[in-house]
Amino acid sequence: MSETVVQQPSFFQVKKGLFSWIFTLDHKRIGILYLYSIGFFFLVAAGLGILMRLELLNPGRDFIEAQTYNQVFTLHGVIMIFLFIIPSVPAVFGNFFLPIMLGTDDVAFPRLNLFSWWLYILGALFALSTLVFGDGPADTGWTFYAPYSVKTGTNVTTSVLAAFILGFSSILTGLNFIVTIHRLRTPGMGFNQMPLFAWALYATSWIQLLATPVIGITLLMIVAERVFGIGLFDPSIGGDPILYQHLFWIYSHPAVYIMALPAMGIVSEIIPTFAQRTIFGYKAIAYSSMAIAFVGYFVWGHHMFTSGMSGPAAIVFSIMTFFVAIPTAVKVFNWVATLYKGSIDIQVPLLFALAFIFNFLIGGLTGLVLGALAADVHVHDTYFVVGHFHYVMFGGAGFAFFGALHYWFPKMWGRMYNKKVANTAFALLFIGFNTTYFPMLILGLKGMPRRYYDYLPEFHDLNMLSTFGSWILVTGIIVMVINLFAGGIKGKKASANPWNGITLEWQTASPPPLHNFDKMPELPAGGPYNYPNAKNASH
Amino acid sequence: MNGKEKITENTSTHEHISSYAEHFGTWVALILLTLMTVFISTFGADLRTLTVATALLIATVKALAVALYFMHLKYDAKIYRAWMIIVMALFVFFLFMVTLDYITR
Amino acid sequence: MADSHTFVLPNSGHNFDAKASKMGMWLFLFTELLLFGGLFLVYIIYRYLNQDAFLLASFELNVWMGTINTIVLLTSSMTIAMAITALQKGNAKLAITLSWLTILAALSFLVIKYFEWSSKFEHGLFPGMDHFDGLPLGERLYFYLYFFMTGLHALHVIVGGVFIAVVIRLIKKEKVTKERYSLLENSGLYWHLVDLIWIYLFPLFYLIH
Repeated sequence: MSETVVQQPSFFQVKKGLFSWIFTLDHKRIGILYLYSIGFFFLVAAGLGILMRLELLNPGRDFIEAQTYNQVFTLHGVIMIFLFIIPSVPAVFGNFFLPIMLGTDDVAFPRLNLFSWWLYILGALFALSTLVFGDGPADTGWTFYAPYSVKTGTNVTTSVLAAFILGFSSILTGLNFIVTIHRLRTPGMGFNQMPLFAWALYATSWIQLLATPVIGITLLMIVAERVFGIGLFDPSIGGDPILYQHLFWIYSHPAVYIMALPAMGIVSEIIPTFAQRTIFGYKAIAYSSMAIAFVGYFVWGHHMFTSGMSGPAAIVFSIMTFFVAIPTAVKVFNWVATLYKGSIDIQVPLLFALAFIFNFLIGGLTGLVLGALAADVHVHDTYFVVGHFHYVMFGGAGFAFFGALHYWFPKMWGRMYNKKVANTAFALLFIGFNTTYFPMLILGLKGMPRRYYDYLPEFHDLNMLSTFGSWILVTGIIVMVINLFAGGIKGKKASANPWNGITLEWQTASPPPLHNFDKMPELPAGGPYNYPNAKNASH
Repeated sequence: MNGKEKITENTSTHEHISSYAEHFGTWVALILLTLMTVFISTFGADLRTLTVATALLIATVKALAVALYFMHLKYDAKIYRAWMIIVMALFVFFLFMVTLDYITR
Repeated sequence: MADSHTFVLPNSGHNFDAKASKMGMWLFLFTELLLFGGLFLVYIIYRYLNQDAFLLASFELNVWMGTINTIVLLTSSMTIAMAITALQKGNAKLAITLSWLTILAALSFLVIKYFEWSSKFEHGLFPGMDHFDGLPLGERLYFYLYFFMTGLHALHVIVGGVFIAVVIRLIKKEKVTKERYSLLENSGLYWHLVDLIWIYLFPLFYLIH
């Protein structure tokens, strides 16, 4: 850029060529590698989602056979969960921004970081190879429930191995971040001076580290059962399928916090920046991340209320589920309180953050309905569940991902997207999203079961509405993606700090130089969000 | 690692060097415990239901010896001990919740 | 890459940081512990559900082979711990010898394990074999777990041995030295983990009479 005289070349410029990317040790380039790979799989899985909505436009068979439909929703789930939403924020924005926000030049283990990305690609290849070989992709649902998963002829083994490899990649990313946070913070930055995004990643990393191995071993047991007949879960040769569900959810429930916590971290960055005001209750937000991570380990049984689990166990799990809502609500109150009397500048990233709060509230509260024992028996395995987790995962984590993309876009590419188009894309996404998924909540309450390619005629109207919504939603995605690409190629040059943020990433050039900083970064006095000109600073 | 600038270079992880004698002593204790647990179970001092509990108790003592002395946890930064306890507690909690389901069914 | 005038942060991620590498190793060990933790959980539940069958099935194992293997592993844990002490004191030669002894122990462990497993195969005690498929479900569960857990453990023995062999090479090349011993220390930590898991596998499978 022109305002500074001596300018280091940006990390884009230092080296060129394919190999300088796929073998890079630079955390920023690895973040961008992840962005492209994750973005690609998001679009693939979103396409599969559209396909399902299309099939559900009318009752009866429209154009997909029942078996194909089972495979489509399994593939949609596996890709969205393991290839998109779990790695999404940590692998893309965590990699790119965690070191910069901590004031260092890379993660603790740069080689391991690159290795994680390669594992991700290997896992992705495994997942995609199920399309080509044998009897096609798994038809078990992304949960791979035994005993069906050990009996079906479809490519469960390969899908499961894909999930195993992707889990390993996720563990290594988490490990890297924990060590980075412990060892590489800039001098003077204690844990309580870290940006909240770093706190969120810290909590997330611990879940990645301590929960993922449990599913790793469970998936290996499925493979051993399919390949060697080690019948640990099939009741006809020994095992207990409910134990599989326990092991599966010991990981997969904390995994939803792997998806949600970094998203909350992003919202905690965006809101103070666009309110130009100190975050309300810094410690409450930081520690509630840890609390969610901790309590989140103890609630997995609420996925199994109808499985035949014992009554007393179900009651304990139900109570714990209500506990986990407390730290989540603490965050929401703090965000709203931060906006109060702030100098609010309504820009696209803030809109996404507000949409996150709105959608996540609906997702979270419907989650409590599902966590309540009696209510769950009524809505278990209905579209209510589908609606609920799409509100949390897509409306929550997905919107935060888009928000982060718009928030940090000028920092990553040094250019600005067209804000008007971005606003339009946001409106389409928000309207499309709610039109698609809100009807599902009603359909579920009315009793429409999930995972069928067909439904009773009385559900027709709401299903049509939902499918129309999915068209608006996909239009929003297309407009957003095109706008971002256009912005990256020929957008206006962005300054180093277009949003007037004060966390460390705004102190360096856009895009940052290879080593992130040309001089020692300066910590803002009085905490990471202490805006000097804020009208009603402090709390 | 290019290690050009070594301002915060940290080569040694801790000051303490365990002596050979200490390792040997730990080994002797471990072997004795192993023989003891085999003896109890095979030539059976008839402990009935306590056999498994005794075996696991001895195993835990052995595991602690390995962790504290061979793995240097005793001399290392406190945080490793704290983490180890948290990880073990987490496992015990998983176990507790799953068993709760099975024993109350 | 960059010229010598480039500003480099004092807390650079590209510095060699022994504390970071040890922390990373410990975190990795935690994932390993929970990986096996999942299996121990399965073991405990199935044992709770099939107490008598587990007892009966455990008589098929040879306690003496198990005991010898335990002693072999414990000894190897001592040698690798001593190797670290030796390197810290600057005696690279002794460190290499002790590391080789550890690998030797790893190999003996695997050989004994091989004989144990092959005697099970001879008796038709593997899923899919005639004798095995005639067993009651509870006893089958015991052997499923036996093969899966000791198999996975043996895999870790192999990985640990290879890790130590790599470190021996690096000591010879003086990449791992008195001042920079963290890689040897990490391979030791990993090896102790293999030992830790065996400490529990041994009583759970061999000594539950």
